[in-house]
Amino acid sequence: MYILGISCFYHDASAALLKDGKVVAAAQEERFTRKKHDISFPYKAIEFCLKSRNITIKDIDYIGFYEKPLLKFERMLHQHLEMFPKSYKSFIRNIPVWFIEKLRVLKFIRKIGYTKSVFFVHHHIAHAASFLMSPFEKSAIVSVDGVGEWTTTAYGYGEKNKIMLQKEIQFPHSLGLLYSAITAYLGFTVNNSEYKIMGLSAYGNMNKKTNPYYEKLKQVIDVKEDGSYRLDMDYFVYHYRNKMPSEKLCSLLGGNIKKPYEELTQRHKDIAAALQLVIEEIIMKIVNFLYKETKSENLILSGGVALNSVCNGKILRNTPFKKIWIQPDPGDGGTSLGAAQYVYNTILGNKRNYVLENAYLGPVYSDEEIKNFLDKNNIKYFVFKNSRDLVKKTAQLIFDDKVIGWFQGKMEWGPRALGARSILANPCNPNAQALLNEKVKHREKFRPFAPVVCEEDAMKYFECDDPLPLPTDFMLMVYPVKKEWRKKIPSVVHVDGSGRLQTISKEQNSLYYSLIKEFGEISKIPMLINTSFNIRGEPIVCTPYDAYSCMMGTEIDYLVIGNFLISRKENIGNAWNSERYARD
Amino acid sequence: MKWKEFFNGIKKGQKAFGEDIAQIVNLIVLSVVYIIGIGITSLIAKIVGKHFLELNMDKNKKSYWEELQLGIGKKEEYYRQF
Repeated sequence: MYILGISCFYHDASAALLKDGKVVAAAQEERFTRKKHDISFPYKAIEFCLKSRNITIKDIDYIGFYEKPLLKFERMLHQHLEMFPKSYKSFIRNIPVWFIEKLRVLKFIRKIGYTKSVFFVHHHIAHAASFLMSPFEKSAIVSVDGVGEWTTTAYGYGEKNKIMLQKEIQFPHSLGLLYSAITAYLGFTVNNSEYKIMGLSAYGNMNKKTNPYYEKLKQVIDVKEDGSYRLDMDYFVYHYRNKMPSEKLCSLLGGNIKKPYEELTQRHKDIAAALQLVIEEIIMKIVNFLYKETKSENLILSGGVALNSVCNGKILRNTPFKKIWIQPDPGDGGTSLGAAQYVYNTILGNKRNYVLENAYLGPVYSDEEIKNFLDKNNIKYFVFKNSRDLVKKTAQLIFDDKVIGWFQGKMEWGPRALGARSILANPCNPNAQALLNEKVKHREKFRPFAPVVCEEDAMKYFECDDPLPLPTDFMLMVYPVKKEWRKKIPSVVHVDGSGRLQTISKEQNSLYYSLIKEFGEISKIPMLINTSFNIRGEPIVCTPYDAYSCMMGTEIDYLVIGNFLISRKENIGNAWNSERYARD
Repeated sequence: MKWKEFFNGIKKGQKAFGEDIAQIVNLIVLSVVYIIGIGITSLIAKIVGKHFLELNMDKNKKSYWEELQLGIGKKEEYYRQF
């Protein structure tokens, strides 16, 4: 039985394919269209899913869609009814999209030739359904994001193949939208740069007593002991305008919305820190309350706020939960997978038979396909004798402070590069962070890089939870780097001494694992810098063409693609400057 | 060749003109819908004290959690878009 999950028309369109309850393919549309956070109907992602199994749309038995469009439309109408006449501009701007796309989901689905059943799953159920692919038989579940149909925050529990969301907070009160409003206030793009604010917060004052913006932000939100909350909507305009902070919020925070070209000051950093403190405080309250309600020791975290890896890393230490699980794409991109899994297990009542153990669910290219591409474009390359040769040579290049584009196997599912489409570098090189930020990724100087270590080495370098939580496999937890190692791996230590580590096991990705170990043999520190293989504002590379083009447009020294090594210097005739194309 | 370019140019111009007209018609129709449909309903609702969004904080409330009970539905409910 094949089930296709689809999400689109809001954030990060994607498609996921299940065969007899097991995920066999999943990808975000942006990787194919090369438009970051592409929201359009995922034609190409669906095409990839079908091709990966050599099937057609006629072979699909059920489709699961990630939300109830009419409930969302109802909420939107309620916004306009409540905010009349202030919402006029927003109404004129947004209504046509509803009639052209958002309310015509079925037409889009029929257009691709599918004629069987379509199930519409509630948005937060599609998030919470990550429980169904978790290793837990029973678990508490919390889902926090911007907004679904009406719900912005929900909690409940999962048991076997059933999910129950018991309580909710409704729009316009939303932690995700609070985070986005401050992101907009700090001059960054909404629904894209929230993670930058998380990174920026480490440069600010993280002391609640001395950071003046902490108390100010607390005026904006009323939080109860059980973690439930409401925002003071005088500080926001997102419920009736296509903007987020109000003038009242600007005066509270002591200045206008930062223009993108303005320098970041300590005030901006302190505001980011205050926001992080407030969000962490509320999440801890919600999660502690959830434990009291469910008495489960397992926790599933879902929704876009679960991408806040700084907060995630503190949950097990500050709550009674013993285990935590987050799928590789807890945001809206991941809901196609959740919707498909929910259809199979809960709606159709099938037993669970799958645990998502790695994120390698995307397109793969054989050595033959890669060679054809290289030959056709007259690209000079070197062929490795075998994988041992590949690992040895690549590890030596990284040790020699070369920057490597690493393109191997199936592309990752979710926003993080996890060793299939990664840029790798030497964490011991103190100049690596500046080099990667300025010349390769063309991104803000304050942004840190993530380390990857083999599972069994994590405890040696990081103050992790013990036992190591599974979301570290998906780079979703931030932990302090142990003090004695901070000076030895300067390029992966953030200003507050933390690192957003990825752990890898041999079973998940043996080539990547062997490379880290081999680098450890040479450097005595089995750890690499792992950052996504893209330039700022572009989706992560998907095809050999994307990878080669990215290398030639940046200062990546070598591309290790399949069994081939390509040197930028040897192909310098194809070089171009990607800097002016870098977007937010 | 020149004639082909000429007619292509005319076609493009017609398309752009058509799009501009469509935008103006859209604006007029949507404004009427907003003022008549949304506006009148909203005014009546305000008179009778009906709220469509809960905008206010309530310091006296013990909790803001609301009942949801999502996940018990029958299979038929998932065919619906609401």
